[in-house]
Amino acid sequence: MKKLVTALLALVFLGLASAQTLVMGVSGYPSSLDSVDSQDGNSLVVSAQITERLVDFVPGGTDLVPSLATEWSANEDATVWNFKLREGVTFHDGTPFNAEAVKFNVDRWNDPSHPYSGRDQGKTFVPWGWVFGGPLGEGNLIAEVTVVDEYEVQFTLTQPAPFLPALWAAVYFQFDSPAAVMEHGVAYGTPAVGSVGTGPFKFVEWIEGERLVLERNDDYWNGPANVEQLVFRGITEPTARLAELQAGTVDIAVLLSVDDLASVEADPNLQVAIPETELNVGYIALHQGNEPLDNPLVRQAIAHAIDRDAIIEAFYGGLGVTAQGFVPSTMFGQPDPWPYTYDPERARELLAEAGFPDGFSTEFWYMPVSRPYYPAPQPIAETIASYLADVGIEVELMTEDWTTYLADYQTGKFPMYMLGWNADYADPDNFLLTFFGPSAVTDLGWDDPETRDLLQQARQVADQDVRAGLYAQVGNNVAEAVAMIPFAHNRTLNAMRSNISGWVPSPLGYSSVSLHSVTKAE
Amino acid sequence: MTAYLLRRLLGLVPVLVGVTLLIFFLTRVIPGDPATAMLGQRAAPNLVQRLRTDLGLDRPLFLNLPKARETGVWTDVLDSQYFSYMSGLLRLDLGRSIYTLIPIAESLRHRFAATFELTLAAMVFAVAVGLPAGVLAATRRGTFADTAIMLLALSGVSFPVFWLAIIMIYVFSVTLGWLPPSGRLSIGMSVDQVTGMYVLDSLLRGRLDVAIDAARHLVMPALALGTIPLAIVVRMTRSAMLDVLGQDYVRTARSKGLSERRVVRVHALRNALLPVVTVIGLSFGSLLSGALLTETVFSWPGIGRWVYDAIAARDYPVIQGGVLFVAVMFAVVNLLVDMTYALIDPRIQYS
Amino acid sequence: MSDVPAAVTVAPSVRGRSLAADAFRRFFKHPTGLVGLFIVGFFVVISLLAPVLKPYDAARDRDLRARLAPPSAERWFGADELGRDQFTRVWHGGRISLRVGLLAVAFAAVTGTVLGLASGYVGGWLDTFIVWLMDIVLAFPGVLLAIVIVATLGPNLTNALIAIAVTQVPLYTRIVRSVVLSVRETEFVQAAKALGSNSLGVVFKHVLPNSLSPLIVQLTLSIGTAILDVAALGFLGLGAQPPQPEWGLMIRDGFTQFLRAPWMSIFPGIAIFLSVVGFNLLGDAIRDVLDPRLRDA
Repeated sequence: MKKLVTALLALVFLGLASAQTLVMGVSGYPSSLDSVDSQDGNSLVVSAQITERLVDFVPGGTDLVPSLATEWSANEDATVWNFKLREGVTFHDGTPFNAEAVKFNVDRWNDPSHPYSGRDQGKTFVPWGWVFGGPLGEGNLIAEVTVVDEYEVQFTLTQPAPFLPALWAAVYFQFDSPAAVMEHGVAYGTPAVGSVGTGPFKFVEWIEGERLVLERNDDYWNGPANVEQLVFRGITEPTARLAELQAGTVDIAVLLSVDDLASVEADPNLQVAIPETELNVGYIALHQGNEPLDNPLVRQAIAHAIDRDAIIEAFYGGLGVTAQGFVPSTMFGQPDPWPYTYDPERARELLAEAGFPDGFSTEFWYMPVSRPYYPAPQPIAETIASYLADVGIEVELMTEDWTTYLADYQTGKFPMYMLGWNADYADPDNFLLTFFGPSAVTDLGWDDPETRDLLQQARQVADQDVRAGLYAQVGNNVAEAVAMIPFAHNRTLNAMRSNISGWVPSPLGYSSVSLHSVTKAE
Repeated sequence: MTAYLLRRLLGLVPVLVGVTLLIFFLTRVIPGDPATAMLGQRAAPNLVQRLRTDLGLDRPLFLNLPKARETGVWTDVLDSQYFSYMSGLLRLDLGRSIYTLIPIAESLRHRFAATFELTLAAMVFAVAVGLPAGVLAATRRGTFADTAIMLLALSGVSFPVFWLAIIMIYVFSVTLGWLPPSGRLSIGMSVDQVTGMYVLDSLLRGRLDVAIDAARHLVMPALALGTIPLAIVVRMTRSAMLDVLGQDYVRTARSKGLSERRVVRVHALRNALLPVVTVIGLSFGSLLSGALLTETVFSWPGIGRWVYDAIAARDYPVIQGGVLFVAVMFAVVNLLVDMTYALIDPRIQYS
Repeated sequence: MSDVPAAVTVAPSVRGRSLAADAFRRFFKHPTGLVGLFIVGFFVVISLLAPVLKPYDAARDRDLRARLAPPSAERWFGADELGRDQFTRVWHGGRISLRVGLLAVAFAAVTGTVLGLASGYVGGWLDTFIVWLMDIVLAFPGVLLAIVIVATLGPNLTNALIAIAVTQVPLYTRIVRSVVLSVRETEFVQAAKALGSNSLGVVFKHVLPNSLSPLIVQLTLSIGTAILDVAALGFLGLGAQPPQPEWGLMIRDGFTQFLRAPWMSIFPGIAIFLSVVGFNLLGDAIRDVLDPRLRDA
């Protein structure tokens, strides 16, 4: 019986393979294909095949390369930027890509009163606020977009931004056909319409909750892609994604459980695809607005009590490293190694010194969802809790919906909590300013003007060595105060069938990987 | 009959209005809102404010007294989140998902078809196996067969559905490789959607291969979901049959020398069906509960999973639309059950 | 929703002691009922003995070297992601499931009875309001309502208990209300009222004894449902919180590992199944014994 079924299945799959269809197994379906109105990897991995950015990253790295823009330059204080655009590119609907199209897109994101912003109908452009401060008059970085000529635009900024090209390379800012946006309005980006861009693949259909299909754009400016059709399937559980990959019903499966590394490596039909480095960090935050975490000795004791190496060995499958600071270890601006090594004896002494010889109890909040930096948050949290119990600190493990979690950690409701960060752009600023800038007061109850000053200085300087020194100093300040405990930098486990090549995992996550050059051998 | 139907339909209105009120109230007292949910880890206050305005979440929930006081126009009291939603509802406009901007009605059509196909298959399985098993147990009362069937039925209502689903995947997909572990169709298969129920649609189009593929995906979820109703149908059929077999007219039929088979089939079963139909209808609610868990394990794109995800993401329009739809469906099924009584038992009067 | 007749029989007098003794006698002749009693008794006893025979502190339990160890002579049910012994955890999990199941049902029964009494006895707008409220609760599929309630209150065991209880309240309200309505019309209550007897007294003297047997039947059968619901909420991450050894939560943890460590989900599932079977067998038997209308069915 089993043989018969397998044979029948094989027949079905052989019939498909000849059509050069590449099936991607991801963890869910997009929220929207209007890229600036979405923010999750599952949306961006699809839209990035259809619509493109001005600036891209080199495959497998974080260096910037031209995409829809070919070159760029700034005035002396980096407040006015000129971008030259690629000539002869058209959107899938025939609309020409030019300076007018760029202005249309950027104004739509930046100006709430733009006739096609769609904000009154529910478009939100959330990532625009994240990276560019907010829309016009509400913390905006971009003051004005000017069409210089057919293939050149100028961005006038409200303050200096030496790293503007890196911001444009953030995966969200993909350019859509103005004609399509105007025609479809609020429905643009939904399954009924999809999206229209300049990329290597065109939208075909999206059946909600079931599949999303793209086809090759034969007129792509960089030459047609190798595979004819792309199919995206959302499979929630990593284990189920692996099962489908092993069955051959999926060609590439992203974000697998690290516990499966050995079985993927042992399978002759599969190959692993792990980025060499990945820009993320997971940490344990200690909110000083809560007693007794306001006591630096207590915070040091906690840092000494947890055996990070043992936990990372058990739960990160050899892909992660123990974090020595809050900037990924491959980036510049590294501080001195983290001074608080695993030492439960020392932890007990510090607790006694702080006036808690019998320990104390508090709450420890863990993330309800897994992220690359915390691949299995719940068992990791349980393990951390057991280490804390060893030195007398009784923590109650708590969690809530991710939504509420992200709102509540900023209020001081969580005495201790797990969180982390995946980079939007490859600069320590993206990590350290996020953690220890103005928000440290609310997120950590840590009010340190000196550190904030260092971070602001580092934003304005162009000299890389000076910046590195400033960021190292920030890291050392944080370590001295034990404002947070760095936990791990991790890499994600992706895998593909052995007949797939050309898929290069990116340090910025799977959603940044173009499927243009992926090939599927028969 | 028509008057009765109308009265029943009218009686539904206060309950459904209550459902909207309750769900509106509950979703809004849940801590966190879509604005903070969407802004995630970098929710700067200016961005939160902008988003609340964009999403219309800055208006009062039920009554906009401040605005009425300000303008002096009393109807402005109704410029609230609840009344905006209800006025949309009266125009049959369920709104759009906050995240995906997909119209709720569009999603519902698709998701309902998926859930309906699943529940229908589960129900067919439950009735097709449960009815004969129940009759068998009743006619062989006290024998080994009776005891065995009743013990199995009891086990059926005692399984955690999600656990059964996991074990099935482990046995039939992972170990034996007989059935696909998740999804509704294999890649490369496609169906021209008519009803949205894939087995039916592909048969309508004469695509036997697609129908078989869709059915293979359907088997495990339907079996997992169908165990509880199966057990209930068996138990109800048995007890209703025993009830009827003891009645005078059955004894009369027997004494007239009719064969036992004929007695059971024609006289007893027909009369025993009434309580069985009731129970099938009432199981529908528990089926929808079970569907949520089954859909979770099998990645089945139905309503349960959709609403569950929406709750976690605070996608108010989806929660409201989905729950209201389920409640309406549940009410309609109850109504259908009552209508079926009339067909099976014409003695029932609708006064 | 009043189309389904509750199994209610009104006896004009309070059941006598001989009836109870009679019920007991019949129960002990009920083979499956005895099996149910044995299973339930087994779970109750081992749960009570757990802290004595095998003290367990979930907060400190960790053995990373034994991570995902398969079942063996040393670890009968294998180990989980933290290397914790699953046998000990399944055993101690019984304490949680039984306690929460019983408490949820008790909470639902008390609330439902009070509402049912108020509804049936006071009548008028209060009756309309309570019936309306119950119809709304019943218009939700149970798990969905429980999920919304837990999302509102925050996920933990107590809130899961409350949510499950709320979904069960209408069952009891209906039973008690229908008994009140039928008792109210009987001659002896009318007579008692006419004689000026205290109305609350009438309720307690006549209504409660008459509702007792359907209530007990419903209670026993609901415990199984409640245990399943606790596990379902645990499975969705909305019930017990780690590191508590709750069965549903353990299956949830096992689901992410089921290709590598199926034992993580298999054993807690069997425990749920057995305990629920026990309560269902017991409930069936009690119904057979107490409910004369269904006794011969």
